[in-house]
Amino acid sequence: MKRVTTRPQPPTPIGESVPRRDGVAKVTGAGRYTVDLGMPGLAHAKVLRSPYPHARIRAIDTAAAIVHPGVIAVVTADDLPDVHLVYGHSVADHPLIATGKVRFAGEPIVGVVADDAVTAEEALRLINVDYEPLPYSTSAEDSLGADAPIIHEKPGEQRAHRGFEEDIERTHPNVCSHSRQAWGDIDDAFARADLVVEGEYRYPRSYAYAMEPYNAIARWGEGDLTVWTSGQHPYMVREDLAHCFGLPLSAVRVVVPYVGGGYGSKSYTKIEPLTAALALRAGRPVRLALSIEESILTTRGDAATVRLRSAFDRDGHILGRQATILLDTGGYAENSPLVGRKAANRLGGPYRIPALEVTCSTVYTNTAPASSFRGFGAPQVTLAGESQIDEAAERLGLDPLEIRRRNVLRPGERPWPGVRGIDADLLADLDLAASELGWDTPLPAGRGRAICLSASDAGSEPMTTSVLRVHADGSVTVTCGSTEIGQGSSTVLAQMAAGEIGVELDRVHLLQSDTAAVTYDRSTGASRTTTLMGLAIQAAARDARAQLVDWAQESLAPDGPTVVEEHSGVRIGDALHDWGAIVRAWFGGHAGECIGRGYIRRHGTTEEMPPFWEIGCVGVEVSVEESTGEIRVEKLVTVGDVGCAINPQLVEGQDVGAAMMGLGMATREELVYEDGNLMNGNLFDYRVPRTTDLPELHTVIAERGDGVGLYGAKGGGEGSLNPVAAAIANAAWRAARIRLHEAPFTPERVWRALRERDATGG
Amino acid sequence: MPDTIDLEFSVNARATSIRIEPRETLAEVLRERLALTGTKVSCDAQVCGACTVLVDGLTVSACTFLAADADGREVRTVEGLAADGELSLLQQAFIDHAGFQCGFCTPGMLMAATALLEEDPDPSREAVIQGLEGNLCRCTGYAQIIDAVLAAASLREATR
Amino acid sequence: MIPRFSLVRSRTLAEAHDAFASGGGDTAWIAGGTELLQVMKMGYAQFDTLIDLKQIPDLHGVEERADGGLRIGAGTTHRTIERSPLVRRIVPALATLELGLANTRVRNTGTIGGNIAFAEPHSDPATFLLACGATIELASPVGRRVLTIGDFVLGPLWTAREADEIVVAIHVPPAGPGTGRAYEKIKFFERPAASVGVALTVRDGSIAEATVTAGSLTDVPTVVPAAVAALVGADADERSLDEPLRRATEAFGALEVGADHNGSADYKRHLATVLLGRAVRGAVSEALTHA
Repeated sequence: MKRVTTRPQPPTPIGESVPRRDGVAKVTGAGRYTVDLGMPGLAHAKVLRSPYPHARIRAIDTAAAIVHPGVIAVVTADDLPDVHLVYGHSVADHPLIATGKVRFAGEPIVGVVADDAVTAEEALRLINVDYEPLPYSTSAEDSLGADAPIIHEKPGEQRAHRGFEEDIERTHPNVCSHSRQAWGDIDDAFARADLVVEGEYRYPRSYAYAMEPYNAIARWGEGDLTVWTSGQHPYMVREDLAHCFGLPLSAVRVVVPYVGGGYGSKSYTKIEPLTAALALRAGRPVRLALSIEESILTTRGDAATVRLRSAFDRDGHILGRQATILLDTGGYAENSPLVGRKAANRLGGPYRIPALEVTCSTVYTNTAPASSFRGFGAPQVTLAGESQIDEAAERLGLDPLEIRRRNVLRPGERPWPGVRGIDADLLADLDLAASELGWDTPLPAGRGRAICLSASDAGSEPMTTSVLRVHADGSVTVTCGSTEIGQGSSTVLAQMAAGEIGVELDRVHLLQSDTAAVTYDRSTGASRTTTLMGLAIQAAARDARAQLVDWAQESLAPDGPTVVEEHSGVRIGDALHDWGAIVRAWFGGHAGECIGRGYIRRHGTTEEMPPFWEIGCVGVEVSVEESTGEIRVEKLVTVGDVGCAINPQLVEGQDVGAAMMGLGMATREELVYEDGNLMNGNLFDYRVPRTTDLPELHTVIAERGDGVGLYGAKGGGEGSLNPVAAAIANAAWRAARIRLHEAPFTPERVWRALRERDATGG
Repeated sequence: MPDTIDLEFSVNARATSIRIEPRETLAEVLRERLALTGTKVSCDAQVCGACTVLVDGLTVSACTFLAADADGREVRTVEGLAADGELSLLQQAFIDHAGFQCGFCTPGMLMAATALLEEDPDPSREAVIQGLEGNLCRCTGYAQIIDAVLAAASLREATR
Repeated sequence: MIPRFSLVRSRTLAEAHDAFASGGGDTAWIAGGTELLQVMKMGYAQFDTLIDLKQIPDLHGVEERADGGLRIGAGTTHRTIERSPLVRRIVPALATLELGLANTRVRNTGTIGGNIAFAEPHSDPATFLLACGATIELASPVGRRVLTIGDFVLGPLWTAREADEIVVAIHVPPAGPGTGRAYEKIKFFERPAASVGVALTVRDGSIAEATVTAGSLTDVPTVVPAAVAALVGADADERSLDEPLRRATEAFGALEVGADHNGSADYKRHLATVLLGRAVRGAVSEALTHA
């Protein structure tokens, strides 16, 4: 790993690659995930799912299942009159169990609760459902046709957490949302252009494959509900549960232990309301644990068709970009309206674009629902934008790096009016990537290189809190609503707390993701945790310090002198008093506690949006096998422009993991529908990268202290995924003179492009 | 009344007797009957390797291995890697090199790597890559895992 | 989850046959279980009784026959075969094939007999052994019979095995003078996308006999006789193989190839032709070392 650091020195242990706090738990198997939890009386649930992509439910015969020995409850929508069945933080269009019709093959229709899981499964086989199949659509284009089947007869109610201000626009009954981003004079840009590049690009339906499948446990008390879940946003889930069951927020507790992978696919509400509904009817705590096949049918990543044209002057300056984007959101809205909004925002990339017009429609289809997934619109639009920059370079006779240098935004420059200026040095990032990739070194025969960029308005909303508690012995507990999904929050947040309050790391403990014990955080996603929860922790530490300084003055030097605040305590004359001593003195005994509170909202440094720009800068060298079309990424360079790496080793891990995930989607991963059914909803036919796919790796971390977070920190974790498909496509051009516009670039797609090249003498 | 089998086997060097149904997989028995939840089930189809355990020193997919077939045999799981509270060289190397993130693949990965190093104590990088090809990880991109295994191997060689 | 069943363990073939005869309802044999338990878990099959064959000594072991061929016990794991010095000497392509099968855990538990008997359409062993002219030895309560792979594998997941017959051994012909055997496959997902098996004999510097099989292209491993016609008579040296190979690949054009997740019929046929070239060259190279 190469580290380029110009930021100010933070207090230890911030900036150090300390070993992960969850290390011993995870390497010994002692760490608990939701799926490992149990309790007395726990019952088990299984779900019957629709085999049809679109159908009315005429009748459900559960008589035989109900009397099957060991069955406790059999639940359909009709058994839940006391529950608000429909939820959705953006568009409330999603019933927790099918009501009258199903909108995708795999939609839950009946839940069975039994003493054990194998009995519940047996009972599923005893249920008969009478369906009236309806015409269906499995592509966004089909859904927009004149005679397309209407998937949602009524639009769902718009809800507060859609993530953007504007109302959700629907331009066709099957349009879930429609976003537009525009500035400048687009017609003038194209009229003046010396070169126009046009094309259509496709990005697949993807499966995040979090290795721990969706699973939850729900337990009812007297008018209160506790749910343990493998989820990323416990406070969002709490809100949806409160809505569904008519409870105040204070009566709903959501607890998230270690999460076995998220990547955005566990953002927002999933199976928690269904699990709680089953527990309500069963009168017992209930575990609902999905298989991987069921998980694939629960949430996937949005597929995209991007029609883009870019206008350039003869020196390669971008004059304008115009695009229409279609996202296939599946049967329900989930978070796709925001993905659509972000896809439109991110189409400009990290470039100065005088005129832009982008529309993005998210479209219902009768496929598994699409929602948040790492990259969040950026991988989809970056394939289009970065392909066209390279194509323009080719046609104008410019080096692909040079054309980018001419167009990247300079630090502080606003991508569009009203947004935060770019908080990154993109020219420096390009130079780092070029140097690591060996851009100017001779290229082995049959290989091609490319470097691609992305810039995402990331961080979601700066809506978060933290509490930092100083105990009577000077040790510290910090509470953070952030979840530990593998990104290392359980370590990094503790590092930041230790650094800010001046207490050694092994005397700082973290309590996370329990809505009853930990104060509000909007979400763990959008690469926001280090930056925004870090600021909340800093604010809480400062609040604690301010109180402790006052307490010291009051209790230890009531008649003077003025106490002096230091990193780990206060100085009175020659004596240093640590925080614990101050707590004990103030309480007048041997105990007590100081409670520091941190509130972060759109105010001060976090007033401007986005909180930060997440940069992607990836370089690849690829080889293309002429006989079979297989592409191999031989070399991979990632530049993590993160402002201040709280834990460099963990930043590197996130960048490599993200890039490899991008490699999967660029070369192999796509969910394929045929006749309304998902053909490859399992790991035999959906291939994620393996050890043998790992290229020669060069990772760089750039720390220029230019972000709004602690010591200039910004977010990471998605940036290195966003440009990967584009980089591979552009490198394939250089290796084999083929243009790849449809990801994944499967062997057959590449082979056909090679043969077409041969046929046209290209 | 379903059939039952009286299973007697060794789990992490501890003699264990338990009455099971023939249909119970080794993963189910470990996790639900013996409270050894370290072994994880992910794909449940023998592809991902999250459920990797050792039976008489050989890796198996516990999700599709009948517990009954472990009768009279030695089963080792992630819970058995640390001896007397001290982490194995491999476990420590995973911590030192951040060879995990969410950790769900980690127990299986550690068992696969343990078997690999027991058979080939000084593997090449290529041998580690090939040896772990059947264990998926969605978080790390594998680089730090491979580094951890090689580091453990060289530490073992150095301390022989 | 695996549905409930009763488990019977047999220690001899006679015990196994008795258990089968007395078992009411649906009964199946189980060895490694990697395929059978998987389909049971997925709800595609259910049995009242499984009769476990793993502890029957007759079903284990790799032996050299008097004619120099191999007898491989059906209960031999893929791992044992991949490491067997006998296999590596007599039919090394089988050892390589076994090493490349599925993943290491499946190889530690799965057996070659189970693989052949399950008749998964993409089976690597079936495709290669078909080219080698291997035979399957079956034991019924009343006797034994031997079938070629071609007569044994009838369709996807369908074989000529009667319900009460147990696959006891696979017999592989010897590596006679001038014999070369090779197997090439290409894989994009868990199962092969396409594969080709070649067994040939070189005499007096030219290909005298050959068998070519195609796997994962049609619905069962298939012999491609027309490819053989193009190869027989060709000079067995590197430079002279291009033209015979080109003619042999045309034979694949007549195959009824199924499109699937790996690609269209045309593309898969093309992959097979690439693999044919590699397999023929590999087999010729081995044949010349046995000359």
